[in-house]
Amino acid sequence: MLATKTSITSNNHVREFTFPRGIAGFPGATRFAFIYEGKGNLLCLQSIDQPEAAFILAPWDTTRLGQVPTLSTEQYECLNITNAQGLRWFVVLNPFADKTWVTANLKAPIVICESEQTGLQYIRNQPQLHLRFKWMKQPQPACRA
Amino acid sequence: MMVIRRKVGQAIRIRDDIRIVIHEIRHGVVRFGIEAPDDVAVHRLEVYEQIQQENKAAIQGDALAWLKARG
Repeated sequence: MLATKTSITSNNHVREFTFPRGIAGFPGATRFAFIYEGKGNLLCLQSIDQPEAAFILAPWDTTRLGQVPTLSTEQYECLNITNAQGLRWFVVLNPFADKTWVTANLKAPIVICESEQTGLQYIRNQPQLHLRFKWMKQPQPACRA
Repeated sequence: MMVIRRKVGQAIRIRDDIRIVIHEIRHGVVRFGIEAPDDVAVHRLEVYEQIQQENKAAIQGDALAWLKARG
């Protein structure tokens, strides 16, 4: 494994996760894999069907965001589970929209079930949630001597 | 696009399992109820379109290259 924080990536093979409903804007992309670069806690979720769809994810931070959303019975079924045990929540980062900040989409987090290798994008209807929440500063370019 | 006239209390049936009932029309706003199976996701169009657009904006660059550059 590449990291102890996550068991969803592996050196030896790509674990495929099925998103039965796809991801908004990419209806044909239902098979995804996680790519982890080994630095920090960010992950790259890439579509196997549409490789250009590669999202950077950050783990859900309860300190900043509060508790994770509650799934409906139907959403549990979509993930092929019956309860919230073993679920992992992420926010989708956008590092390309702002020069100063990496933003996070709080309206549509990603939840995955590692044991079933399933996932979905959870649409939140609350209008007060930010599409581009200031998540972290953009990395500074390395100084040259 | 199909256009159907309905009055308050009347409904529209889609497939065998989706029913949309008009509850109220006031000041240009229509309130309606949707009865649909649990596996039918229903979202406000503007919210869903916002999320579609933001998902596409989030992949406008090379995610892996950005992660590597992050160091």
